[in-house]
Amino acid sequence: MAAADQLSVIFAALADPTRRAILARLADGDATVTELAEPFSISLPAISRHLKVLENAGLIARSRSGQWRSSTLQAAPLREATAWMEQYREFWDVSFDRLDAHLRRVRQSRGAEAGTSEGTA
Amino acid sequence: MTTSTELTISRIFEAPPELVYRAFVDADQLPQWFGPVGYSVPYESVQSDAEVGGHQRLVMVNDKDPADRSTIDTTFTEVVENELLVGHQDVPGLPGATGTVRFRIRLEFHGEPGGKTRLELRQGPFREGVGGDASQGWESSFTRLDSLLRRSL
Repeated sequence: MAAADQLSVIFAALADPTRRAILARLADGDATVTELAEPFSISLPAISRHLKVLENAGLIARSRSGQWRSSTLQAAPLREATAWMEQYREFWDVSFDRLDAHLRRVRQSRGAEAGTSEGTA
Repeated sequence: MTTSTELTISRIFEAPPELVYRAFVDADQLPQWFGPVGYSVPYESVQSDAEVGGHQRLVMVNDKDPADRSTIDTTFTEVVENELLVGHQDVPGLPGATGTVRFRIRLEFHGEPGGKTRLELRQGPFREGVGGDASQGWESSFTRLDSLLRRSL
């Protein structure tokens, strides 16, 4: 599934200091590859590779028109989806804790019915 | 650009698949565990028909504010007793938004040694902006990635 583990992709993208610096630069406004490369002592192709990783993680968008492709920070929509999803994760975690307790009660009552003291299957 | 994510959870339960599966499909058991702390699922709100095309509906009611109610309506598209539940689920959208959002949900019940069950849950897609005005009511919830980004940058 394409979106199987988007969070892993995001965190992998954020794990690199150059990519975090690129995001920090884009927080001030859109920029071209040349502009983004300026503060770093690395090649344009290397910057392009970093941009590709950030784009794949959905953290930036890149304009498709013209010779000077500029990059735009996309963190906000991503945060929405991620925060929303995390609420559901919490929902399930809490429900499953309660399900644990519920299953213990079910097994104990079954054990009692069957005349056994412990419900270890 | 659309960002889409799917929630995946893997969890071991200390009970065999038959019992865990029943807890998910039995209308009498769902109210005993389903939902967040502070919410109750009234028994009379639960309908559960675990067959292809069948619905599972329930209402979660805020214990402190009975007017705060959320309905979850699942329609099953694949059912294998004690093994698999697949369906689509209409759930409340983002807080502050009106209407419901449709998710796919997949629950696999795998038997594990020692009479245990490994539950694999997949739910999604969680898309940006789904459910209406996503900006409302959400700023306070953005703490996790926000603080991560702040620490990283």
